[in-house]
Amino acid sequence: MRLKPHLTLPPLLALAACSTGDYRLFHPMNMVATQEWHATLVDVVVMLLIIVPVLLAVGIFIWRYRKGANGAYDPHWSHNTVLEFLVWGIPFLVVAGLGYYSVKTIYAVEPYNPGLTQAKAGPQNVLTVDVIATDWQWVFVYPQQHLATIDELVVPQGSVVRLRLTSTSVSNDIFVPQLVTMIAVMPGMRTMTTFDTPKLGDYTGFAADFSGAGFSWMQFATHIVTPDDFTAWAQKAAASPNQLSYAAFQKIAQPQVNEGAKVSYFSDPEPGLFEKVVAAAQAGVVYPVSDELSKSIGSNEHAKLVTPPGPNVK
Amino acid sequence: MQAQLPGPWSPLLGRLTLDQIPYQVPILQWTFAGVVVIGLAVVFCVLYFRKAGYLWREWLTTVDHKKIGVMYIVVGLVMLFRGFVDGLMMRTQQVLANGPNAPGIMGAQHGFLPPYHFDQVYSAHGTIMILFAATPILTGFQNIVVPLQIGARDMAFPYMNALSLWLTTAGAALVMLSLFVGDFSAAGWVGLIPLTELPFSPGTGVDYWMWAIQISSVGTTLNAINMITTIVEMRAPGMSWFRLPVFSWTTLSSNIIALTAFPVLGVALALLGADRYLGAHFFTAGNGGNLMLYTNLFWIWGHPEVYFLILPVFGILSEVVPTFSEKPLFGYVTMVAATFAIAGISWLVWLHHFFTMGAGPDINGFFSVATMLVGIPTGVKVFNWAFTLYRGRIHFSVPMLWALFGLFLLLAGGLTGMMLALPAINYTVHDSVFLVAHFHCMVLLVVAAAFAGVTYWFPKLFGFKLDEGWGKAFFWVFTLGTVITFAAMFALGFEGETRRLDWTFDPAWKPMLIVEEFGIMLYVVSIVCFVIMLAVSIRDRAKTRLAQPWPTARTLEWLTHTPVPFYNFAVTPQVNMRDELAWRREHGLDQAKPDRYEAIHMPSNSALPVIIGALAGVWGFAMIWRIWWLAGLSLAGIIVCVIIRSFDKNEGYYLQPEEIEAMETNLAIGAIIAEQPDRSHSSIPAEAH
Repeated sequence: MRLKPHLTLPPLLALAACSTGDYRLFHPMNMVATQEWHATLVDVVVMLLIIVPVLLAVGIFIWRYRKGANGAYDPHWSHNTVLEFLVWGIPFLVVAGLGYYSVKTIYAVEPYNPGLTQAKAGPQNVLTVDVIATDWQWVFVYPQQHLATIDELVVPQGSVVRLRLTSTSVSNDIFVPQLVTMIAVMPGMRTMTTFDTPKLGDYTGFAADFSGAGFSWMQFATHIVTPDDFTAWAQKAAASPNQLSYAAFQKIAQPQVNEGAKVSYFSDPEPGLFEKVVAAAQAGVVYPVSDELSKSIGSNEHAKLVTPPGPNVK
Repeated sequence: MQAQLPGPWSPLLGRLTLDQIPYQVPILQWTFAGVVVIGLAVVFCVLYFRKAGYLWREWLTTVDHKKIGVMYIVVGLVMLFRGFVDGLMMRTQQVLANGPNAPGIMGAQHGFLPPYHFDQVYSAHGTIMILFAATPILTGFQNIVVPLQIGARDMAFPYMNALSLWLTTAGAALVMLSLFVGDFSAAGWVGLIPLTELPFSPGTGVDYWMWAIQISSVGTTLNAINMITTIVEMRAPGMSWFRLPVFSWTTLSSNIIALTAFPVLGVALALLGADRYLGAHFFTAGNGGNLMLYTNLFWIWGHPEVYFLILPVFGILSEVVPTFSEKPLFGYVTMVAATFAIAGISWLVWLHHFFTMGAGPDINGFFSVATMLVGIPTGVKVFNWAFTLYRGRIHFSVPMLWALFGLFLLLAGGLTGMMLALPAINYTVHDSVFLVAHFHCMVLLVVAAAFAGVTYWFPKLFGFKLDEGWGKAFFWVFTLGTVITFAAMFALGFEGETRRLDWTFDPAWKPMLIVEEFGIMLYVVSIVCFVIMLAVSIRDRAKTRLAQPWPTARTLEWLTHTPVPFYNFAVTPQVNMRDELAWRREHGLDQAKPDRYEAIHMPSNSALPVIIGALAGVWGFAMIWRIWWLAGLSLAGIIVCVIIRSFDKNEGYYLQPEEIEAMETNLAIGAIIAEQPDRSHSSIPAEAH
């Protein structure tokens, strides 16, 4: 049969995928992600303690009591008080244990996480970044460093980063596997998430909750660099000739796809830009997406319609 | 007052213009050609075999719960196929469009579907599978089985039952119509807010989604009223609550959920409609709207809806496992208690669908623990099925194989569900394909139970069994496809892939995407097996005609003749025990003949439900395209139909004892009586009873 060699393909591919370490969630890179991965392991082990015996029991029962085998047959047995207490009791105990554990871990990984801020860093090591999702780019505003970027998040090693998040248009969700867990990003509202940066590294962050036709293109580079490199980077970015006034921001917020997630830098973001964006959304400001634009994205007509993103000064 | 719309509008055709017909999209050209060919073939067959009258008399205007159930299941299976093709397109797109340099064909930059098309496909996939495949299929089983199981002649409200069916069908038809006229929603089956608002979805796609659901959920709500009334009021003498078969118990609990949950969905969609049609601001981000209000309302319906689907599935497993273990169900009372525990908890867990919205730890903690509580009664059920197998005599017939696979899916879904219930874990996989794989374990449990039910109850209605060999081939290929596809999807979740990506930008996902595609191809093969199974079974029907297809069946529906005559039971049975048929068989009473017959009151057919259903479909179309005159006209038509019905003095007819005796004698020698005698013009006058 010609088919046979191909049948071995899926398992081989599965093995290939295992060996490359692409299972990012297995390799958490900071404290929050590590605790979440730890919770995953605990939960799976506890559940397997109950699921594996059940699977074994079902397997043994259907083998032993199959028709034609000589298993004892009892056509009336359908009740046993002790067993019925057990079938309620065992799941109850498991759920009680996991429920307690769940509530405990929520506080440990709480995205607004003041505990992490205090335990891990002094006040000087807390970096605040305002994140504004547009259709379909990410704007990162560094109020302390007086700079802003499109589609690049650079943070110094050994700090605690507090992200304040909002959106100009529709709801979204930010996600950097191994580093920043998912949190909703909503127009007219502010959410927060916090993460620590113990190791140097480069990651890809992206949008996790569907936000329209350009959604798949919403990646951003995430770099954890040494504090010195961060300072140098911040100086370079803050020297950009393009200033991020609210008027300039409104241009960026027009629906557009940033193909290849090209990075742009801006100097002097307008003070209070984040609050202004939240207030504008609450006041009913929207950046409408026409059907023509939605239809053109990711299609061959794309190049004709899309306006180029903000100036690129990398 | 009316919301501002982009694009043209005319009083005659509303927003409908010629360029709303997507005739330039090649995929839709082929689909349209296929639909036309199949449609013409069906019409030709009906006319050639002169079955138009039969179709109208015996099916389209019927109020018989069994035929309505069959039509529900046919609608559900057609939509299941459509939803599967959507799934196939999604998987194929994601594997083709992988990595930054993925080539594009057919006008797409990557893969073969541009985002706008892909987004409609995934939105349609979810909407169809939940609301137009799983729901009708399960409603169909409830319609067919429950009245037979409780020894009733029909549903409590046969006419309303037909109306429910045709409203659901009207919704399904609108979803299908969106393929060829306009677009479907590109904002997810949940209607992601505020993406569904006019500034972000100015086309008619969201309107198709909204009105199709709105119309069909009226049908589901009416059906829930009908089911609850039937089970509460129409049980045969002797069938006390604790003799009620478990499938009927689960139907009762599931329809209590439907009756209480679907109105919430109706309100949420109506408010969204106010935003889109009247320029209101219920769910907008600005102007005092609150988008999380929509998300809450949607999931206050959406989570109970999950249990509305899964409880009857547990019921089917609870019928199949004892039958093919030759034993009563272990722990009947705790099974019923567990069913109602699940139904109760289903109301307390909706917030886990948005654990990542930034709620505080106390709120997430409450909903986390509430969600885990579901694990207790579900665990009880798994244990009870396992102990039903213990000391049984197990036959591995096709329904039993599906049930055992369902048990496996429930364990896999339970394990991953308990992971998602922990917010600490949920934060890492909330919008990832890990979650998608989890809930597919649960909805494929629905599919597994549906095929268990199809194979199990098919002979009850049609008198012959489905082919065992092809049934097993179908089962194994489908099972293998499921395991491969969703094992790969769980893996992709750990690799960080999120949902709804039309372009899977990370090349590291490629191997697992290929595995998924391989799995989905097995599903294609399984569909071929299913079709062959049907064809072979129909060809060999004379050979598999049995008076008792499953000699170990235990419940009341198997007491009457197979296939069931239209009047169900010649004499209403007296129920003595929980598993009545098993008890009668043990005491040699299962073949007993009644010594005399009494007249049976039967409902008359009515054309009004199918007409109202068609008018509701037209009304939905008119609302979608904002053709106000047509909307007004069809609504007036519906009202006129209701008035006609209100003044209808036809209250059914009586089957006389001698007619029943003659039919019973014929049945005993193997005749099939599925058609009613023509009494459409000789209804009993109101004073006759």
